[in-house]
Amino acid sequence: MEAWDLIRGETAADLLPRLPPEETEFLILCFEGPDSYSRVGGLGARVTELCRALAESGYQTHLVFIGDPMLPEREVSLEGRLCLHRRCGWISRYYPGGVYEGEEAKVADYRAEVPGYALAEIIRPAVAAGRRVVVMAEEWQTAAVACDLSDTLYHAGLRRRTLMLWNANSAIGFDRLDWPRLRTTQAITTVSRWMKHLMWEWGCNAIVIPNGIPARLLHPAPRVERLARALRQQIPARPLLVKVARWDPDKRWHMAVEAVAGLRKRGVPALLIARGGNGDHGADVLRNARAAGLRIAEVEGEAADPAAVVEALVAAAPEADLLNVQFCLSEAALQVFYRAADGVLANSGREPFGLVGLEAMAAGGVVYTGATGEDYARPFDNAVVLETDDPREITAAALELLAHPEQAECLRREARETAARYTWDRVLPLLLRRLRYLAMVEGWEQ
Amino acid sequence: MSQHFIAYTVIHQPRRLRLPARPIPAGASPEDIARCLFDEEMNQRYLEQVAQKCYQPATAMFQDMVENGFKLGLGMSLSFLRQAEQWDPELLASIRKLVAHPNVEMIAVEPYHSFLFYVDIRRFVERMTWVRDELERRLGKRPRVSDTTEMFMANDIYFALRAAGYEGAVLDGREWVLQWREPTYLYHYRQRPYLLCRHFRLSDDVGYRFSNRGWEGWPLRADTYAHWVREAQGDFVFVGWDYETFGEHHWQDTGIFEFARRLPEELRACGMEFATPGEAIDLYQERAHHLPLPEFPTTWAGSGGVEFFLSNGAQQAVFQLMHHAYNKALLTGQPALIDLAMWLLQSDNLHLIQWFGRLGQEAEVSAYFTPREWWELGPVGIVTEIQNVYKQFIRALDAAI
Repeated sequence: MEAWDLIRGETAADLLPRLPPEETEFLILCFEGPDSYSRVGGLGARVTELCRALAESGYQTHLVFIGDPMLPEREVSLEGRLCLHRRCGWISRYYPGGVYEGEEAKVADYRAEVPGYALAEIIRPAVAAGRRVVVMAEEWQTAAVACDLSDTLYHAGLRRRTLMLWNANSAIGFDRLDWPRLRTTQAITTVSRWMKHLMWEWGCNAIVIPNGIPARLLHPAPRVERLARALRQQIPARPLLVKVARWDPDKRWHMAVEAVAGLRKRGVPALLIARGGNGDHGADVLRNARAAGLRIAEVEGEAADPAAVVEALVAAAPEADLLNVQFCLSEAALQVFYRAADGVLANSGREPFGLVGLEAMAAGGVVYTGATGEDYARPFDNAVVLETDDPREITAAALELLAHPEQAECLRREARETAARYTWDRVLPLLLRRLRYLAMVEGWEQ
Repeated sequence: MSQHFIAYTVIHQPRRLRLPARPIPAGASPEDIARCLFDEEMNQRYLEQVAQKCYQPATAMFQDMVENGFKLGLGMSLSFLRQAEQWDPELLASIRKLVAHPNVEMIAVEPYHSFLFYVDIRRFVERMTWVRDELERRLGKRPRVSDTTEMFMANDIYFALRAAGYEGAVLDGREWVLQWREPTYLYHYRQRPYLLCRHFRLSDDVGYRFSNRGWEGWPLRADTYAHWVREAQGDFVFVGWDYETFGEHHWQDTGIFEFARRLPEELRACGMEFATPGEAIDLYQERAHHLPLPEFPTTWAGSGGVEFFLSNGAQQAVFQLMHHAYNKALLTGQPALIDLAMWLLQSDNLHLIQWFGRLGQEAEVSAYFTPREWWELGPVGIVTEIQNVYKQFIRALDAAI
């Protein structure tokens, strides 16, 4: 028998460090989280779903975040496996506008407080119970905290009982980071190959672990389909485009608006449903839309009931080419739009991952993505991948798909299959594989 | 030959700033502003360290000494008192017991250990009046004699202490103030308060040089020191020390505790008697001498003048910001914010950066007192962040006006 045979199969697996739920806890450090106070964009969705997926897989999971100051400092769910730790509440009370209002004060307080808190409340008890802890810090706000925590753990003699990862979801704040210290103390990860290449410029070779989406997005409630059909029937003969993104130049709102204007100029009465949220850029976008001849209607309403949302949109549609949605949209309402739309414009110029695009694909949407961090998108196979910032590229693709609805159907089908490969229960095994490698590097025994 | 030995010691812990400076939320309450300004975790840490090395053994030592006839003047800043109340009630109890002894006289120290006398002399008078009542309320003894921050004394400070009703005050007996006079007599400027001049050389032999192996007087023995004291020409020798001299500035292994415990016996053997500062005033006021007080202040810190606190650009910048912070707080009219501004007037915030751009013994002393945690910021980072604390405070008060 060859020596090789001796280490095949399970024997070989035994040579790797294992991270079983009964011996491993996860600690996520992030500004955003599940509270509506704490959810601004993709990051909030990411950590919320990641934490839930880990806890549902049996891992004791802690999320330390800037929570709603009116909610309890600590909240436990999923049979005790998911623990939310809301920090900086005393500052947040002065900043009701959300997680990033008073950001500098929160960054300083989070940094000062969290290492000691995490050591005393989470890591020391976990180690005392015989478990190891995987610490995953998200975004620039937590980078110094992660480094400080590493030092704290070292001095407490617990560093070797932890794996520490710092994850970049975007390039924001890169200029503020102490990269050498970060590289020394953390394994650095990111969410797409585009981000990985971007981070080479900063002297680090990040490990790519993609984002995920919750599996429930693949199985929307029956009324989502019903409402999507209703929306199509009540706005007949008008191509429907949807864009949900921050009012931010990187999101290429002008491109979207000009594409709609381009369609109208060619006699196609397209309607854009726009949800931009806060941001000064919104005023520029709407001014530009009006200058391009689009009629704008503000849509007020309640986010809670998707049927009411649809009703409000239908009522406003006849007199408008752009419906500016003034309230947060629920997950169900978004699924209705993604499903009903002829195109979901996730056409960002710089997108670290493109979570909205993937969520829309899960709903069977025809998604127009940019061409940066959307590793999941394949041109005219599962999505429309835009290579330029020319609005005519959207117009051309829209006209082609309108002319060939069967192609659009193919895109929708492939999109759903692609999205199914990015649910958290599919991404977690990859994350765990990466962690096993990192654990081996750290010298953890199996 | 001097007849009386008058010992005075003062306890102080600064309310250290939180560095790097924290942004203060707009509209923050005074409590939350304080949370951003002061590093109370660090303050607690240092109090606990110093309590173990110094306050506990030194208090036990002084308790034994006064029970055997030694007499002591004892001052303490409110800054220290509030820390002891918050974090070490046991220590506070032992200090209360010491203060209660008839051989211990309570000396009123400027409560915030601040430069309030530079910024607002009227409020300084008010605070010095207040602290007399406050010490009586907290520790059960009413002071007659006053000390100021870092033993600052000048013409205007003298009149302020008189307005506050003190019978006596202390100053450092520097040659540039005393000129041809000896520190071993009781003085006055305008009758009251009477002035006790700290014997600068004999005080620093213990407070500063005791553990210096390069000093020609090392090792200093109690009998030698008692002899030096007795030989001093005049009525009495008034010595003033930091309480932290015993166990903190000079660690236990230097023999400082053995020295101090032995001292009363050796002084008695030389024929000396003990008195508290107030008793010295009672004994010698009939023959008190006139001492012209300088307009520029004297202090026991550094080389005896304000230059220890204001000699470099970083200190001068903080000193300016102290004024602006205090003035801005006055404009709010809110007592709690004015109180915070007074904490920001702590002289320690200047003392701790005396080393900036300087070398030598004084810089070494200053650097010794700079919290070690701050050095991670680097010298420029420390002085910048101290300034930022003041700037944040001043800006935070926008919402209060």
